[in-house]
Amino acid sequence: MKTLDVHVRLTRGAFRLAAKFTAPGDGITVLFGPSGGGKSSLLAAIAGLVPSQGEIRLGKRMLSAQGTHLPPHKRGIGMVFQDARLFPHLTARRNIAYAWTRAPADKRPRLEEVARFFDIMALLDRPVGNLSGGEKSRVALARALAAAPDFLLLDEPFAALDGQRRRAFIKVLLEMHRSFHLPMLVVTHSIDDAASLASHLVALKAGEVVSSGPFDAATADPAFAALLDARDNGAAVSSLLLHTVHDKAQRYLWLRADQVVLAAERPKAISTRNILEGEILSIRQEADGGRMVALQTKAGRILSRVTAEAVDELALAQGRKAWALVKAHAF
Amino acid sequence: MLSAAEWEILATSFRVALLALVWSLPLAIACAFLLSRRFPGKFTLDGLVHLPIILPPVLTGFLLLLLLGRRGPVGVWLEDVAGIRLVFTQEGAALATAVMIFPILVRAIRIAFEAMDARLFQAASVLRAGPWDRFFTLALPLAAPGILAGAVTAFAAGMGEFGAVITFAANIPGETQTLPLAIYAVLQQPGGEAQALRLAAMSFALALSGLIGAELLQRWMRRRLQG
Repeated sequence: MKTLDVHVRLTRGAFRLAAKFTAPGDGITVLFGPSGGGKSSLLAAIAGLVPSQGEIRLGKRMLSAQGTHLPPHKRGIGMVFQDARLFPHLTARRNIAYAWTRAPADKRPRLEEVARFFDIMALLDRPVGNLSGGEKSRVALARALAAAPDFLLLDEPFAALDGQRRRAFIKVLLEMHRSFHLPMLVVTHSIDDAASLASHLVALKAGEVVSSGPFDAATADPAFAALLDARDNGAAVSSLLLHTVHDKAQRYLWLRADQVVLAAERPKAISTRNILEGEILSIRQEADGGRMVALQTKAGRILSRVTAEAVDELALAQGRKAWALVKAHAF
Repeated sequence: MLSAAEWEILATSFRVALLALVWSLPLAIACAFLLSRRFPGKFTLDGLVHLPIILPPVLTGFLLLLLLGRRGPVGVWLEDVAGIRLVFTQEGAALATAVMIFPILVRAIRIAFEAMDARLFQAASVLRAGPWDRFFTLALPLAAPGILAGAVTAFAAGMGEFGAVITFAANIPGETQTLPLAIYAVLQQPGGEAQALRLAAMSFALALSGLIGAELLQRWMRRRLQG
């Protein structure tokens, strides 16, 4: 179990980044933030692809510090890029073998196991030039896994995918994490992707870490809400605490404040399965005149955005009881 | 069809050009790879590499003679220490040819290295491949079509090298007399035009098949690389 400790400064032209955070060795940490915030540069610095000052430590091993900068091939850190970057002169099998033969013999997974896991047995002997986009990204993941890295960095690997294929890819990442106990640091700017993947979060804006920690706590930080588009404002809730049609594994769901309905009494005869009783923590006026109601439930803190009229009619007030209605399989 | 003397000329040309290619290629690959990256002194190296194209070939031959001749500083050392004599030998002809085809090789191979996607090398480095590893497992195979095409072009050009070869290695039948040198020799004799024409036709056919060969090889390898 190797924790990744990062405390670096780097400069690219006029852009300056200074970041300090810890990514645990047993989870998936999401590096979240708007474009241009330095997420990809930070990832490249951790991998050793761009120079940085400060310290990067993996477990007890110093990867980068004053006077010692391990080159990328000696860091034991894997990376999956936005584009698959498969080697065009090799077949899929030999792309994966390229990584496997260079991995420490005692750590590397069995090749057949990797191929079966990613369901790529049928394409192993094809040149990578005629694989589809989805096939390429699966081979790239298999190759990264075959290198047996101590930590895997993923730079928006699903940026090019949409809808169904994107959710499928995220599911593969989660299963990969679980099956091979591989800690990950994943870059994304989508809050839904972040919530589906993350156990931990590092939010980056304009080269600075604005909040970090366990996903639910880090996203409850007001500094984090400021990063989001107003329509994305919401709260993280563990999938185990809601009725969902998803698999039973623990992950987070991002409940947008716009999608949570409030009731002043326990509703009856209604299809919604997730009716969470709670106590109103605060009611805040939004810039557009709407009201943001924060509710403490047994599933954690939930945000709901309602109109001023609704607050009056239901007599919502701090300290009063309310019920939040959530349609959780919408995620 | 060809006379024994003509076969000998052809064989000499082949041997000289092949030896020149074998000597020139490794250094040309190294130079081309260096020139495809950024480093201090790149401009100077680039200039040096191109010298044989810019200088008159006779001057290149003369410089080799000054350096490697029996009284040249390197020539004396080679003969005393290693017992190697280059002037007026087939190896000498090959060396002069190697110097002349060097820029042709470097130019072709450099383009191949420069066309490569630097992002692939980043991907290899996070798969634990070090710099030499990346050079041999990625750079060389990906540049192979360019290297091969450059080699075939340089070989064809090497068969026709004249100025530097005749200056450094002289025109000795069976030893250093390649096709162009043989054409020159028969033209010096009265009534040698018919023989010169035959040799010229051979030379032309060889050069042309070299160019076509290079093109076909490159196409074939590209197709293989792209799958």
